[in-house]
Amino acid sequence: MDISNIIIMRNELSLIVVVLLLLMAEIFSSKNARYMLLNVATGLFALHTILGFLPTETGELFGGMYRSTPLIILMKNVLNIGVLVVLFQVQGWLKKPENNNRTLEFYLLTFSTLLGMSYMISAGDFLMLYLGLELATIPMATLAAYDVYRMKSTEAGIKLILLAALSSGIMLYGISLIYGTTGSLYFNEVMGNLQMNPLQILATVFFISGLGFKISLVPFHLWTADVYEGAPTNVVGYLSVVSKGASVFVLVAILFTVFKEMAPAWNPLLMVMAIATMVIGNLFAIRQQNLQRFLAFSSIAQAGFILLGMISGTTYGMATVIYFILVYVFSNLAAFGVVSIVKNATGKDNIDDYNGFYQTNPMLSMVMLLALFSLAGIPPLAGFFGKFFLFAAVAEQGMYWLVLIAVINTIVSLYYYLLVVKAIFVVRVDNPIEPIKGDLLARMGLVITVIGILIIGIYSPIFEWVQSVSFGL
Amino acid sequence: MGKIIFYILAMAILVFSVMTVTSRNILRAAIYLLFVLMATAGLYFMLNYNFLAAVQLTVYSGGVVVLIVFAVLLTARMDHKLEAVGSLKSVASILLLLSGMGVVLWAIMGYSFVPNGMAEGAHDVKAVGMSLLSYGSYGYVLPFEVISVLLLASMIGAIMIAKRYTK
Repeated sequence: MDISNIIIMRNELSLIVVVLLLLMAEIFSSKNARYMLLNVATGLFALHTILGFLPTETGELFGGMYRSTPLIILMKNVLNIGVLVVLFQVQGWLKKPENNNRTLEFYLLTFSTLLGMSYMISAGDFLMLYLGLELATIPMATLAAYDVYRMKSTEAGIKLILLAALSSGIMLYGISLIYGTTGSLYFNEVMGNLQMNPLQILATVFFISGLGFKISLVPFHLWTADVYEGAPTNVVGYLSVVSKGASVFVLVAILFTVFKEMAPAWNPLLMVMAIATMVIGNLFAIRQQNLQRFLAFSSIAQAGFILLGMISGTTYGMATVIYFILVYVFSNLAAFGVVSIVKNATGKDNIDDYNGFYQTNPMLSMVMLLALFSLAGIPPLAGFFGKFFLFAAVAEQGMYWLVLIAVINTIVSLYYYLLVVKAIFVVRVDNPIEPIKGDLLARMGLVITVIGILIIGIYSPIFEWVQSVSFGL
Repeated sequence: MGKIIFYILAMAILVFSVMTVTSRNILRAAIYLLFVLMATAGLYFMLNYNFLAAVQLTVYSGGVVVLIVFAVLLTARMDHKLEAVGSLKSVASILLLLSGMGVVLWAIMGYSFVPNGMAEGAHDVKAVGMSLLSYGSYGYVLPFEVISVLLLASMIGAIMIAKRYTK
């Protein structure tokens, strides 16, 4: 390997540089510089994000353990933007007095988990995939337990780490079976050597359950609601959007390449999981009163829709999955942005608390409306096209009954998204939440998400480009 | 002879693993875990993979178990007993365990594994070291470095949680 090739790994390298610089800053800075460092961290990460858009080479490194393609670069850029939006939203919360001795750690841990996701996406063998997954999970549990003085936050951290350990143990068992039967961990070498024998089917199922935990597919979703409710709002935004998006991408990319021969095994499995995930996510979302729990179940239901695109197994199906992730990232981050601004200012996060929200906070209400409509899939917002393409990919395969189930679920989801909209716009109360003035960065974050929701929905070349770099079975 | 030793080790692993998860005294569970890990090291010795066996003994039996014992001693009271599991729960978990074991055993028994054809004693420490730090095909320098980042991040997280909460 020529050492100059290492520039292919630019995204990860610059992220590590940012982490190390911040670590040094944390060690050597005085206490007074603390709040300035928050801006430095955000600025450094913004630089890193911009750097990601510069043209770069693609290829393989370390004997195929690390690979980079235009699709992978796209995915990393989307994750970077997502994290940037989270960082914009986070300052109001980090500046609270109870967090003042642990501010920079939030950035260090967030960037470490993002690094894990990058390596997971770029992995060319199961070892790197597993390490990336762990790097994306273990520090995430400490982030969920960030508010250690709150019982619920600690509980969220413990639940996340214990269940993550269990699921990655199962996944590791699956990987060991693959290694035992094919003699290699490299994707390229495993690819040709899988047959439909029971042991390898078992390995595939174990592998899918490991990633299914990260995406919180039913039946691996039991941790989601408690963790989403207990963890700090901004962390939940990060967990449900960036972490989930990365895992979905990895799942679709690996099922379509490495487990290509196993498609007859995983296809019905995904079908059952997709239906279960949509139905259970939706049914539980209707009953939620806490907005964070509500968004947790709504994100489970969205994950069910994402699976539809994978079932089709075509290039078009993969493109719809990637496109849906793009849409999902911006829509969900907008919703979490509003929730976090309100929660940081007032501490309220029940749907009832939002009664009459439009009377006092018209701008935030409009952003929330856009986000919820996009999640529900109302034209001309991005969410509509995301769902439409997904359904089209399934219909293309002639599975109209599946489309029917998905459409019914979409209608149910419309009902509960509109419940929140009704609380905000229609219900009038005497003492709604007082007018909130979010800080400049938080508002900038919301603006980015709104632009994302609108542009992705209207500007069609985005989908065409995604389709040009996607691949099918 | 080898077969007898293997079955003794396997029995030890099985029995002590079950005792680890069923013991209601958490310190005892940690000690049972120690026996499981040592018996696993025994399996590695049987495979003639001395390096891995040594790592297993020093890192797991030595380091990890000591760490667990310390954590238990620092947090829990010594006489603290875990709650007894209800009978319905234990019946359900035994059923689940047996069915899971059945599926996995059926799948593994039905597969004819191919020997890897590696020469005996090929896994000497020098070869392990070389491949651990080489960057070509079958070189593991990238995972090696990523693990170091993982450890750093976990340490930062642990310190953050342990930090005293000040107003």
